[in-house]
Amino acid sequence: MQLQLQQLLPVYFDESQRSASEVWRKDLSFSKGEYIKIVAPSGSGKSSLMHFLYGLRNEYNGNIVYNNRPLRQYTAEDFASYRKDHVSIVFQDLRLFPEQTVFENIELKRQLNPFHPAEKIREMAERLGIGNKLASKSRICSYGEQQRVAIIRALMQPFDFLLLDEPFSHLDDKNSQNAMGLMLEEAKLRNAAIIFADLERIDYFPYTRLFHL
Amino acid sequence: MAASFKPIRSLLQTGTNSGSRWFSYIGLGIGVLLLLCSIQMFINIQQLVGGESKRKEGYDFISISKTITNETMGQLEKNLFNETDIKEIAAQPFIQGVSPLVANRFRVQLSAGDIIPFSTDMFLESLDNNFIDTVPPNFSWQEGQDYIPIVFSSDFLEIYNVFAPGYGLPQLSEATASQVVVYITCYGPNGVQQTFRGSIVALSDRVNSIIVPKNFLDWANNKFGNTTSVRASRLYIKTNDANNPDFLNYLQQKNYKVNKDKTKFGRVKQVLQGIFSGLGIFGLLVVILALMLFSFYLQLMIARSKDNLQLLLLMGYSPNWLSKNVSKQFVPVYILVVLVALALTGGMQWAFHHFAMFDRPELSSMLHWTVLATALFLIGLSLFTNYRMVRKLLYRLV
Repeated sequence: MQLQLQQLLPVYFDESQRSASEVWRKDLSFSKGEYIKIVAPSGSGKSSLMHFLYGLRNEYNGNIVYNNRPLRQYTAEDFASYRKDHVSIVFQDLRLFPEQTVFENIELKRQLNPFHPAEKIREMAERLGIGNKLASKSRICSYGEQQRVAIIRALMQPFDFLLLDEPFSHLDDKNSQNAMGLMLEEAKLRNAAIIFADLERIDYFPYTRLFHL
Repeated sequence: MAASFKPIRSLLQTGTNSGSRWFSYIGLGIGVLLLLCSIQMFINIQQLVGGESKRKEGYDFISISKTITNETMGQLEKNLFNETDIKEIAAQPFIQGVSPLVANRFRVQLSAGDIIPFSTDMFLESLDNNFIDTVPPNFSWQEGQDYIPIVFSSDFLEIYNVFAPGYGLPQLSEATASQVVVYITCYGPNGVQQTFRGSIVALSDRVNSIIVPKNFLDWANNKFGNTTSVRASRLYIKTNDANNPDFLNYLQQKNYKVNKDKTKFGRVKQVLQGIFSGLGIFGLLVVILALMLFSFYLQLMIARSKDNLQLLLLMGYSPNWLSKNVSKQFVPVYILVVLVALALTGGMQWAFHHFAMFDRPELSSMLHWTVLATALFLIGLSLFTNYRMVRKLLYRLV
């Protein structure tokens, strides 16, 4: 299982932006089990990269190849199974169902392709300190709480790659470390890779490779 | 995919515009009801009039003539059938045979000899034997034979019996009429004349004429008259069903005159079928309108739930699975709507048969199978259009 980036560059980037980058316009290959840290200042295309990798957008030149097949060739159905079975994500903007409860938000992901039984939702929520929020609508949770909901949701499915786009922006260090610990455990369970993009280096992420975007 | 649709249902925002949904359900119900009722009535008419009653010999024989109008009066060629007309009529699919009634082209006088002091100018006609209902074996003539067998219209005999007493003539029974020997004198040009003996060998209910063997009249027309071309003022037509609307339309379009009584049912049937075809088409239009209304409702629903649906797709829900499940939500309602319409149609048919038609045996209280098939087809059609619509809209969100 490999995720390859071949000469990738957003179409809306000019050539000057790529020169300093260790990702754009490079040939990179990520394998299962790796922990990739991408340090990216604002405006360097961090979210674009995550969206490209998740197949949400395709305004890029070059190729993203998963398992020897370019994402450009994927149909809508292919992307559905790609996101259901192989790649999970924590969005920077979280993307929860505002009118559903925390539990329902997580369950909607879990039932799609259950990696864990439903009881695991409560267990993880307790661990991340949002056990008492399970029955609340997600829109009335604080941003930090919503961030933890999004993290638990991403861990409910099987995956080969876990994409993290500034997952701790509204969490304090203690909560961040706690959440990171959970994600590392879950990644290990699946022998999965984590691709972690953030504004700066974070000490408690034991990366195996580091890139500056 | 084993995922359940239940938690997703609440993500589809349907509450705020249920009015248009109910309107479309009701519209669909009314349209289906109209359509099914029209089909059933159409079939009822088919079974009540024509179709069912095969004639004794399996055919209707009716005579047609060209309508003589003030414009065509006196123009023989416009009022007579020529060979092209005959060929064209014979080629129609609903006509199984055609034969011209050929009349004499010379003067004929008929007298009853000494027994009945009666003499009159007369006409003779000939027709294919196949078209005459009563053809005895001795209805034939050979050149040189001075005896002519005659097939006589029973109506004419009746008319004779009506006026005979007034003229001091004896009334005749059918049996006596065939005993009477009459003398037929044919007058040709330049004073040529020849007298034949004749007698009635059969009475015909079908043909209103005095029929002599065809070969005799052909020979006599040639000898005493001056033309051999076939020009007939009347044609006899053999048809499976004189009430067939196509047949009637054809006659009407050609402006041919036909015995109205024989085709009366056909005309009623034509009008009724026209009415119910119209109603059926109207019903179909209502069905289409209802489906369109429903598709607007679907578009609105999907537009309102766009964010949620997009997020589901983004999480890895398959667009195909989602379209199937979203459209499946409406299956029970669709089936219910059509079944209710079907039940109402069934009730209508039962009431029509029982109260309006007094359980006539030609009809059934049950619905015809085509009505059931149409109902099934409509369920299929609404489910299919529904699924296609949802699928199209969802794939647009991907």
